[in-house]
Amino acid sequence: MGFLDALLGKSKLPKAKVDRLFAISTASITLDVNLGLKPGGSAGICFKSMESSRYAAARLEIEELLQYSCKETGTEYRVQKDEFNYLWVLLKDPDFEDLVTNIHLISQTLIEQDFSEQLLCAIYRFQGESTVYWIYNYKQGGYYPFVPKGDHQRDNNLEFRLRSVMDSELPIEKNVEKWYPLWGIPF
Amino acid sequence: MRKWNTDWGLQGRMLFTMFLLAAVYLFFLAFLSYQGAGMNVMIIFIGGFMFIQYFLSDKLVLMSMGAKVVSESEEPQLHEMISRLCAMADIHKPRVAVVNSSVPNAFATGRSPKNAVVAVTTGIMKTLTSSELEAVIAHELSHIKNRDVMVMTIASFLSTVAFFLVRYLLFFGGGRDRQSGGIMGVWLVSILVWVISLLLIRTLSRYREFSADRGSALITGAPSHLASALMKISGIMPRIPTDDLRKVEGMNAFFIIPALSGSSIMHLFSTHPSVEKRIAALEKLETELEM
Repeated sequence: MGFLDALLGKSKLPKAKVDRLFAISTASITLDVNLGLKPGGSAGICFKSMESSRYAAARLEIEELLQYSCKETGTEYRVQKDEFNYLWVLLKDPDFEDLVTNIHLISQTLIEQDFSEQLLCAIYRFQGESTVYWIYNYKQGGYYPFVPKGDHQRDNNLEFRLRSVMDSELPIEKNVEKWYPLWGIPF
Repeated sequence: MRKWNTDWGLQGRMLFTMFLLAAVYLFFLAFLSYQGAGMNVMIIFIGGFMFIQYFLSDKLVLMSMGAKVVSESEEPQLHEMISRLCAMADIHKPRVAVVNSSVPNAFATGRSPKNAVVAVTTGIMKTLTSSELEAVIAHELSHIKNRDVMVMTIASFLSTVAFFLVRYLLFFGGGRDRQSGGIMGVWLVSILVWVISLLLIRTLSRYREFSADRGSALITGAPSHLASALMKISGIMPRIPTDDLRKVEGMNAFFIIPALSGSSIMHLFSTHPSVEKRIAALEKLETELEM
């Protein structure tokens, strides 16, 4: 948002960046070797639904695509709304590579459908002693770790450790203030 | 899926207003410097005063409204709603405050996105549904994103100077007047500048509101949520019948919201556009969304 845009009160939403989304696939090996975190077999995309008939059409298209692509890779999928009225596309697949491929495919489709601005994040779940989520923020084009524990608490220690271990492999969001929590991730 | 285009009409009007304001101010400055010394001290003094106000804008507003900054554990729902909106719009998450008041209202303040505060009243949280509240908060976030506090502070600086001059000269008369008819002239010009600039500032303020409404629609993807929130807050909502059409007989079903015939002079001085106009603009966005 440039100064002139602010002066004119021009509202623009940043577009989604997907180029670094793939980084997680190599990082998963390091996560396993160094931290004992295994892919949890599930991932998801969270985006804001809109009110427009075109959106409904796009949603149908995404469902069709999911059906087709998930049959290829043997991935299970589910689409659901959360309490904040955001839509989730949830994927389940023991093969991590397939998850990454599908997440990328859906992201691309949403962007092609011009939902670039509505994409919030993609999330991968990892399982070790605790459940760890790697959240990809589309607007920033970076990952950050999220380790929920108990009622609206997060394990900051582990999150910082994850950052220091993965810093060279993942494009990690540098500004810690943008490590927004997502409570009640549905997978 | 096409998104909204920039509203060039709005942008153009906003630029034109700023241009006029700048012209009025330049004239005022030229006039003051022509009148000679004594004015500079005052401008510096008021400048300092406004700078402090600008710098403390968030604290001042929070104090005067009795708003309490709430942590994530106190208002988890509200925080998460705001976090998500900030992630979507990619702005720095402001502090979140709550005012204990039954009046449904929300506001945002702070000189830059880095030290902004967004505040809601307990009344608004009770009155609105979560998607309506989200739309209202998105509107406030747009104000922050557009740096409205900064824009309006700069816009109203010399207007404040003129206002002070009007009052000051009324009570004390000028210091040394070199020009013939000095004081009277300065006083008249100040009044003129103050009135014209106030009109322009208020116009600008109304345009900023339209901009923030657009921003809200953009962030939430749902202009109608903000429209219904505005209706609820302004109390138009209760007039819309909730009875099923089949229950009400005949013509009673056709409700008419009477057009508010506010005097046009009041409209010129109001900081916000009328709710009807805002809703009309939002409905236009809604149609654009469907096209």
